[in-house]
Amino acid sequence: MKTKRILSLLMAGALLTGALTGCGSKKDDSAQSGDSSGVITINYPTAQCGTNTSAPVCDELIKEFNEKYAGKYEIKKEDVPGDQNYIDKIKVQLGTGDLPPVIYGGGYNLLDMVVAKDLAVDLTDAVNSDADWKALYSDTALATNSRDGKIYASSMEGQVIGYFYNKDLFKQAGITEPAKTWDEFFQQCDKLKAAGITPLSMDTADSAWVTQLWMGAMVGTESDAGLEFMNTMNPTDYNTPEMIAAAEKIQKMYQNYTTQDAIGGKYENAANNFLSGQTAMLANGPWMIGDFSDTSMAEEGFADKVGVALFPGNFVYDAPIQGYIVTKQDDPKVEEAAIEMVKFFTSAEAQQTAMEMQGMVPASNTVELTDTAKDKYPLLAEFLDLATTEGEKRSDTLQATMYSNLLDVMSQQLPLLASGELDAKGFCQTLTDAAAKNQ
Amino acid sequence: MKTSFGAMTGRERLCFVLKYLFMALCVVVALFPIIWVILSSFKTNAEILSNGISLPTHFGFDGYKSALDMAPIFKFFGNSVIVTCCATVLNVLVFAMAGYAFARFRFPCDKLLYMLLSLSLVIPMTALLQPVYSVVNNLGLYDTKAGLILVNTALNMPMSLLILRGAFQSIPKAIEEAAYIDGAGFLRTFFQIMMPCAKGGLTSAAVLCFLNTWNEFTFSLILTSSESARTLPLSLSYFTSQFSFNYTALFAAVTIAVIPSIIVFAIFQEQVVSSLTAGSVKE
Repeated sequence: MKTKRILSLLMAGALLTGALTGCGSKKDDSAQSGDSSGVITINYPTAQCGTNTSAPVCDELIKEFNEKYAGKYEIKKEDVPGDQNYIDKIKVQLGTGDLPPVIYGGGYNLLDMVVAKDLAVDLTDAVNSDADWKALYSDTALATNSRDGKIYASSMEGQVIGYFYNKDLFKQAGITEPAKTWDEFFQQCDKLKAAGITPLSMDTADSAWVTQLWMGAMVGTESDAGLEFMNTMNPTDYNTPEMIAAAEKIQKMYQNYTTQDAIGGKYENAANNFLSGQTAMLANGPWMIGDFSDTSMAEEGFADKVGVALFPGNFVYDAPIQGYIVTKQDDPKVEEAAIEMVKFFTSAEAQQTAMEMQGMVPASNTVELTDTAKDKYPLLAEFLDLATTEGEKRSDTLQATMYSNLLDVMSQQLPLLASGELDAKGFCQTLTDAAAKNQ
Repeated sequence: MKTSFGAMTGRERLCFVLKYLFMALCVVVALFPIIWVILSSFKTNAEILSNGISLPTHFGFDGYKSALDMAPIFKFFGNSVIVTCCATVLNVLVFAMAGYAFARFRFPCDKLLYMLLSLSLVIPMTALLQPVYSVVNNLGLYDTKAGLILVNTALNMPMSLLILRGAFQSIPKAIEEAAYIDGAGFLRTFFQIMMPCAKGGLTSAAVLCFLNTWNEFTFSLILTSSESARTLPLSLSYFTSQFSFNYTALFAAVTIAVIPSIIVFAIFQEQVVSSLTAGSVKE
């Protein structure tokens, strides 16, 4: 009995010692400053790894930065594969206030959450004191990356989005050129359908990226109010005539002009239907251009069959993607290093590198398309030229401007809209109700 | 007594054929997902997305090569083996002790304590994320295998406790009493008498803990940052992102990831099934 007590006491003691020792040594995950060599390490978690199209650019920029700032700063990349995984991880760290020095807001609308927690570093002075950096901010880039008149982020990438079409399938249906108006667009859909061709690639899952692009373009071209709506950040009222009209058209498209797998389908399904020649049109950005010549995705020579067009009504999505955010750190030296990193990653040279390596559209309109990029991505050059010369109406995407909780609502409600269980007004009301939860 | 097929009556033959047809159907249903994943690892992206149930047009190992190039699968595999084995051993050892105490001894608030520990089974994973992240970070265990081992050991606590308490309850007290009469102490009785008697429950808890830890994704994502501590399920996320995908490599990686789980379950399935029902009949 005595042995049992002694053993119990020893075990309890060991447990307590272990716990106390553990509590005493907090490990700083986000950044390390002033190690024995004096190099400040910036731990940089990013989803730009694996199959992510931006992964090679990210790796190249990290390599260049580490070479340029050797002995002073060093970026240590942390792979967080999968966009949603990245958001989930950042949200957990946001909850504990333990954010990494630099996070990427692009496409995830993380800026508002970070600003709301007062964890974003105000970059206004840093940007204003550097003429080259400031020159890269267009008015739209400034709006995307600022809150309450303060600059909190810096963009590297822009998004110019229209739609791709299959020239062969258009020819088979007797269509000579992309539609200029929505009426003409639906006439072309009827022609394609009559020729036995499914006109459109659409989706509903994962916030229905492809479908939202069609919907936003319809809203933006419906009227001036529609365009204003599309350029409004975090709209709260979706019960507008433009949204309702667009939802009606989307319902018609689901019911008449798309594939069966569109309901419940993801971007991958929509993309594959276009890449395999099953559908004639797909709305998406230029980052997809590389897939057209990838023989594991499309047949040999498919790239030559693809044309690119602005949406009917000369509408084009043209907005910088929310950029890199510097977060508040205990050590001011780490913040300085993070600002330097963001400046480097969003510089004109970095934007050019991204354009030449992956065909990424620069965030700044002062960065011109290089000959290397033109040779490597002729379709991108053609589309950027088209967007510049013919694009009359521009806005950000619906997805980028809506409250983040609406993304899931879209995926849940679009199948109901498609099946007719929900009408256009009901659909818009649901979005409005979901947006109101943010008030 | 077995009767040969030739000696059966017409009705018996029909029953025999139907029985085997039913079993064959069960086998097909069970094996189809595994075979589908393995076959898909040899198909192109277009083949997978266009016709999910077609056979590959050619058999090549490009998917496996891409999978290994893109994600450090073997490193993650090694980490998974270490984390899973350690968490399983720790879980079974600690909760066998706890299960034995709850099964055999009466002490103040024992039922309340058991209920509280069991209730943790219903706490949603998302509710645990931030507190666990803070605790692990404050303990200095962020991005370590030790952190993941402890978290996985704890995550599997309710189920292991439930199984092991039942297993110890089903062992007759006379065995224990005989050991004490023969002069065995508390520890010796527990480790040399009770643990072997509860082998079925221990195996069951170990297999469930192994499978849960092997497949655990969220905490591995949140609590690690480098390749040195990350586990295999994370590697599967390398193959799909918002606007790009490589399903061939994904299925190749899934094949590599699921085979050990299937082997473990195949070896121990009888113990799992029998021990899950072990505590259901009282002596």
